Amino acid sequence: MATQHSRAAARFMIAPSVIVLLLWMAVPLALTLYFSFLRYNLLMPGENPFVGWENYSYFLTDPAFQTAIVNTLILVLGVLFITVLGGIGLAVLLDQPMWGTGIVRIMVISPFFVMPTVSALVWKNMFMNPVNGLFAFLAGTFGMAPFDFLTQAPLASIVGIVSWQWLPFATLILLTAMQSLDSEQLEAAEMDGASAWSRFWYIKLPHLARAITVVVLIQTIFLLSIFAEILVTTNGGPGTASTNLTYLVYAESLLRFDVGTGSAGGVVAIILANIVAIFLMRMIGKNLDA
Amino acid sequence: MARAVPNSRKAINTAVAWTIAILIFFPILWTVLTSFKTEATAIADPPVFLAFDWTLENYTAVQERSDYFRHFWNSVVISLGSTIIGLIIAIPAAWAMAFVPGRQTKNVLMWMLSTKMLPPVGVLVPLYLIFRDWGLLDTRLGLVIVLTLINLPIIVWMLYTYFREIPVDILEAARMDGAGLASEVIYVLTPMAVPGIASTLLLNIILAWNEAFWTLNLTAANAAPLTAFIASYSSPEGLFYAKLSAASTMAIAPILIMGWFSQKQLVRGLTFGAVK
Amino acid sequence: MKTLTRALLGASALCTVSLAAQAQSDDPVTLTIATVNNGDMVRMQGLTGAFTEAHPNITLQWVTLEENELRRRVTTDIATGSGQFDVLTIGNYEVPIWGKQDWLAPLDELPEGYDTDDLLPSIRQALTVDDTLYALPFYGESAMVMYRTDLVEEAGVTIPDQPTWSDIMTAAEAMTNEAEQTYGICLRGKPGWGENMAFLTAMANSYGARWFDMDWRPQFDSPEWQSATNDYLTMLNEYGPPGAAANGFNENLSLFQQGRCGIWIDATVAASFVTDPDESTVAENVGFAQFPNKEGVDNHGNWLWSWNLAIPASSDSVDAAKEFVAWATSKEYTEIVAEEQGWRAAPPGTRTSLYENQEYIDAAPFAEMTLTSMEAADTQNSSVQEVPYTGGQFVAIPEFQGIGTAVGQAISAALAGQSTAEQALSQAQSITEREMQRAGYMD
Repeated sequence: MATQHSRAAARFMIAPSVIVLLLWMAVPLALTLYFSFLRYNLLMPGENPFVGWENYSYFLTDPAFQTAIVNTLILVLGVLFITVLGGIGLAVLLDQPMWGTGIVRIMVISPFFVMPTVSALVWKNMFMNPVNGLFAFLAGTFGMAPFDFLTQAPLASIVGIVSWQWLPFATLILLTAMQSLDSEQLEAAEMDGASAWSRFWYIKLPHLARAITVVVLIQTIFLLSIFAEILVTTNGGPGTASTNLTYLVYAESLLRFDVGTGSAGGVVAIILANIVAIFLMRMIGKNLDA
Repeated sequence: MARAVPNSRKAINTAVAWTIAILIFFPILWTVLTSFKTEATAIADPPVFLAFDWTLENYTAVQERSDYFRHFWNSVVISLGSTIIGLIIAIPAAWAMAFVPGRQTKNVLMWMLSTKMLPPVGVLVPLYLIFRDWGLLDTRLGLVIVLTLINLPIIVWMLYTYFREIPVDILEAARMDGAGLASEVIYVLTPMAVPGIASTLLLNIILAWNEAFWTLNLTAANAAPLTAFIASYSSPEGLFYAKLSAASTMAIAPILIMGWFSQKQLVRGLTFGAVK
Repeated sequence: MKTLTRALLGASALCTVSLAAQAQSDDPVTLTIATVNNGDMVRMQGLTGAFTEAHPNITLQWVTLEENELRRRVTTDIATGSGQFDVLTIGNYEVPIWGKQDWLAPLDELPEGYDTDDLLPSIRQALTVDDTLYALPFYGESAMVMYRTDLVEEAGVTIPDQPTWSDIMTAAEAMTNEAEQTYGICLRGKPGWGENMAFLTAMANSYGARWFDMDWRPQFDSPEWQSATNDYLTMLNEYGPPGAAANGFNENLSLFQQGRCGIWIDATVAASFVTDPDESTVAENVGFAQFPNKEGVDNHGNWLWSWNLAIPASSDSVDAAKEFVAWATSKEYTEIVAEEQGWRAAPPGTRTSLYENQEYIDAAPFAEMTLTSMEAADTQNSSVQEVPYTGGQFVAIPEFQGIGTAVGQAISAALAGQSTAEQALSQAQSITEREMQRAGYMD
């Protein structure tokens, strides 16, 4: 259907996007790659000699590296798990007839508009603080000792905060998908005496599959590089308990100012992110073509 | 919709949904309430919910210390600027991908999306040096460029999924009538695509407004947006809950209100192709 | 790729040259000032009207940030020569290191009446490289004990003017009442070389420990470090507030002002805030004592810190910046603060004349103890053992920021109960060895 002429025009139209993104990737990436082979510490100016793979071996043998990989996975999978399950639940609920849908929806969607820094600050100080936080007060009224969230369960607390921010996004997408479901199909099933559960399991859930993949893809992109929430609440600690890969690279290049090692870490992170990306793309590609 | 739902079931739904919604919304509500308390009331034990002497002193204190409107204006310029430029670059691309798909289209799209997976810290120092050399540090132009680039893949993808839903027949009819490529885009597609473009615009304003890595690291004073404004309240200075709450409320209020008023438009396009 | 890099670097050189135009002295100038959000600096920001009135051609722009954030931004800026800031707030750790690297503009030719000789000798020495001042001190501090006189009395214990660590631990235990959310002792636990490690290093000094031996071998495996660390953990775990592993200077200040802490050992500068009746609920009941020592070790920690104003060599308004820096650290500024907010609020620890001023001594019950502590601090010999480095609660080498922060993380993990003191110290030892080897200090 497409003519030669429109093909060429199409290429011409796609070109600007591709070119700027290519530059955006290639230029800093080339410099990062270059720096990763230098001994380059911002605090120690002078020559930056070529050191081969030293920065890489240094970064990869850092005991914090393995922890960071595991933490990154926990963070991404934990948030995905909570937001997808919670999102399905909320979508089913909000799809029911009720009074005041508009206001309920506005309240549910709100966390999505809150800056990550603000939400981390608010949760850390006003809720999770073991002395003045609201949770400490609640624990007190039940006669329990206050739980120190960010020290005792730093990673779980961060998963909680991030899930709060992303739950609205998952809910909205899943709800939109849910509402696109043909209601006649549901009614027919109901006539046939299908229970609410089997209607959910056999009709609604399969219909949501595509939406779930989309939620997983988009969220993973953002979750892999979670940073502000960690910086504000725990600084990656205690120890390295809540250090993810992004934070580790940050610590190398901007706390130790070791740009060489930081760049090596950046390259490692980019490679790992791309592996995840390939996986995701495969999965999504299949699901979206259908 | 034709089914009659018993009021009792509707009541249960309502109760459950409201409870959950209020719980989700509570942190924001609590922050806003706290911003009107005195510092002493803010940490009162037991906490005071509504029955306190409302005061605006925290807002005055915050404004006195950090010029809110300068930061606000920077946020507006940066998020609007980057979104609009992003749309200008992305609309033709998304159009071409949706209506003249080639063998590589899907791959190009996926590649674009994968650039979003670049961990920003990995390239911060090189970018910082480039910005320094081009005189872009602490300028709104610099941030507009960066935010355009990091959100471009999302913009292209959202528009692409939206454009794909536009029936091709209409285009062919237009072509039969001798419409050229340009007029096809301007007169036929754009009007149909407006809802999709609107929701893309909204989502990207939100993403750009809340972006807190590049905006913090590439600005000092002149171009610092609200993310930088809030950063100066991130550690306690004596009693600070009320001031922190006031600063937080000021930082999120504009985008929150915008989000509320435009949520219908936002939701309509926020499917990323999730709905067929 | 190489060509690309070269092109970029080449472009960089060109731009640096073309942008190096200097501003004339009477032209309108905007100074961008990077500072910490500590109380004294926030106060300075509030008083800038007084400066701009006298210098109508100068506009001040403030970037006020949390300490770690500030340090990161300022260091990136200066190390890359970006020149985004005209005035920096930096510590006496950075000044000599940066001064040596010619990153800072030398501060000679100060305005008449500045009276450099009035600066406290130890502070002045810390800011001088090869007889040139590279920064002017905004306020200075040592560390001391602040405690609640009412709680001490209630608990029936005493804290002498020169307490030992066992005095402190006994008193902390007696004052702890968890049911009423009163905790015997508050100390820094937030990881960072300038947070928990500043305190723990000073504490270890007072136990006779040192960071490195004369061959730059880290000493965390020494018995002194072990007993200091054990006592530190015991105090915070048994008598400290919950969440201590996240508390830094500002968090503890807030807790003390709310009346949650019996004892707080920290920077002397906190004294003016905990005795401020407008901000502190316990202002009437605060006593002061010298930084503790371990029985038999003649060392009170040797904590010496100052926050200083410096001008990056990359600034394009060095002259205007110099005027501001001299103003903000002058006697005149102190008087403005005193006039507006009372003598108690005057920035402490930089000038001898302040401690000879009767009005200040009358208004500030902590003046004497502050001066005693600062005079007792010896940053040249921080431990009773011989050391190859200078610095009291830090080690004055560029690598220390990174090492100190990593060690601080290990200690805070122990405080959070994720590891034992022994594990934390052996981790600290291996982290430090690794970094020192890499940096070429030891092989």
